[in-house]
Amino acid sequence: MEKIDRRQFIKVGIFTTAGVLVGSFFGFADSDEKIDVKTFDDLLKYEWGYIIDTSRCIGCGACVRACKIENNVSDNYYRTWVERYEVNKNGKIRVDSPKGALEGFRQDNFPSSEIVKSFFVPKLCNHCYDSPCVQVCPVGASYETPDKVVLVDKEHCVGCGYCVQACPYACRYIDPEKGTADKCTFCYHRIQKGLAPACVNACPRSARIYGNLKDPESKIRKILNTRRYGLLKPELGTNPKCYYIELDMEIK
Amino acid sequence: MKNKSHIIKVFSLIFIILIIAFIIGRIFQPKSYGDHGHYRWDAVTELQYQEIVNQDIKICGECHNDIYNLHEKDAHYTVPCTDCHGSGKLHVAFHKGGDNAKNISKEQAVMEKEYKLEGCLLCHRKLKAKPSDFPQISQEEHYKFLHVNDINTKCIECHSPHEPVFLLTEVRKSRIHPIVYRCTECHDPKPEKSFRDVPNHPAIFECNDCHKEIVDDFNTKPHHNYVECRTCHLYHKENETTGRIYKNGNAKFCLLCHEKKPFKDDKYPPKIEWPSHVGSQEIIIKGDEKICLNCHQDKIHKMNVKFRENPHSGNWLIEHKEFGKQNLNVCQKCHTMNQCYSCHMKNKPSSHMADWKKTHPKFGMSNKQSCEICHGKNSCISCHKLEMPHPKDFGDNHKEIVAQKGKEICNKCHKEEFCKQCH
Repeated sequence: MEKIDRRQFIKVGIFTTAGVLVGSFFGFADSDEKIDVKTFDDLLKYEWGYIIDTSRCIGCGACVRACKIENNVSDNYYRTWVERYEVNKNGKIRVDSPKGALEGFRQDNFPSSEIVKSFFVPKLCNHCYDSPCVQVCPVGASYETPDKVVLVDKEHCVGCGYCVQACPYACRYIDPEKGTADKCTFCYHRIQKGLAPACVNACPRSARIYGNLKDPESKIRKILNTRRYGLLKPELGTNPKCYYIELDMEIK
Repeated sequence: MKNKSHIIKVFSLIFIILIIAFIIGRIFQPKSYGDHGHYRWDAVTELQYQEIVNQDIKICGECHNDIYNLHEKDAHYTVPCTDCHGSGKLHVAFHKGGDNAKNISKEQAVMEKEYKLEGCLLCHRKLKAKPSDFPQISQEEHYKFLHVNDINTKCIECHSPHEPVFLLTEVRKSRIHPIVYRCTECHDPKPEKSFRDVPNHPAIFECNDCHKEIVDDFNTKPHHNYVECRTCHLYHKENETTGRIYKNGNAKFCLLCHEKKPFKDDKYPPKIEWPSHVGSQEIIIKGDEKICLNCHQDKIHKMNVKFRENPHSGNWLIEHKEFGKQNLNVCQKCHTMNQCYSCHMKNKPSSHMADWKKTHPKFGMSNKQSCEICHGKNSCISCHKLEMPHPKDFGDNHKEIVAQKGKEICNKCHKEEFCKQCH
């Protein structure tokens, strides 16, 4: 290898740094379309919540496919997935989610005459009020926005994996491509523009509903006022914001 | 007093370390960290710039207006376009044009057409875990019932994907309790007594309760072993098509079972070739759309097909405009709004995309009338300076026309070599 003296080293160093800085500036500026970026005070008006109606889900997996395309999720990792619970007449329970229901469900696991109860349960990040994943982050890369969405700052995350361990709902994973933690964002880029998250948009049965919990006139508030619902693992004190309608005791 | 210099040394060292740590922290701490909490505020802004991939159904509707209108009326109105056709990001960017379209090839912009069997079965495959009120198909049983031999037959061979032979959800509910939902549907005003206090008042109405004569007659006819009333009839809930055969007695309804197709069993149920079946009957003149029931009503049940004959005589095509403006609900007794939309579109039809300028002659040659609905009679002449398509005697007269109007107008469509073929 060729020897580099100090002067040359500094020269190369300065030019590469400058190049990277300028390049990244243009790279960022290029994708810069004009959108209304919400300010802190705007965001305080919202508090995003989510309802999953387990009695309506048909397990088609449209939400999983939409999420994957929308957020470019790596293969074999899922930000949202659909689980199937089957109870047979002996009280045996089987839970499965082949490929996160990306390709739907093919057949019943028990012989269909033996099944007494069976249902689908879509799952995603619960965006808890008291998120354990935010509390354990050593570098402040996991945070809660003013509109109560739990997000990951991928630029800042060091990929230590504490948050993956801390989440009781197994909603986080380490992105194999970037090496940083990743999770459902409620499609933050869509909801800020007034569009529904990709999974809500894709659901053909309106089994997924999202809305602003601070608005008493919103659809989500009206449903929560009239229907009976449950939370996942309420005993952990995480205060999730995903409300499950017709939640069965078996669902964990 | 003892010498304190060692304490001062230790504390000043700690102080210096603290200051250095503070400075290092300041240098390495990202910009905007701590603005609104223990996180980088810019990360929230950056995330809002993420690109939207799954397109909204309204964006599809801007161009594909005709299909959008069909879909909106259909039982599948809650299924967004993206579920079957893919996200549509490249497709929309390509056809909107501008800077974003530069790097997208035409092939990339083609949307997925989920004409695979799997497309429908993702939702409609029979599974125990699905809610029982959701329509589910066991492919094996369905094909056995319809005597379909080829198990790879796609759903769309029979069911149109944007207007399948399914009923609206509300109607489907009423199938379980046919006809009557509320007291006010028969009684006006609402009676004070509950129906339970009225002797002999049925709790749920069956077809038999009101149409006994027809149901009895139907039971003596060959169809009654295989189909039910609700196979063909919508119930009274749906005002648009009250009590009528679905699709308003459209011949295609019977053809769903009785048309000869390569994937179906030839013998059972009886099959006919379409449209040659109609053509072979000399009584039927071309263009006069007879429906199956005109001849075959004796196979089903007693019915009055008189009203099915075309009631609109004379210059109805022009007159219906004025009539429809005031009496749209009268039209809707027989016609669905889809029939209006098939001619009266708010925007241009979906065929008029991208390379329509090049491909429109093919369509226009055989469907000139449908062009004229929107474009008027003189629209061809305004560009082509000629009557289009060429009249029958054009070959004999074309010499004079070329001499009069110049060769340029020919070259718009025909290449120069075209003349040399004969001359």
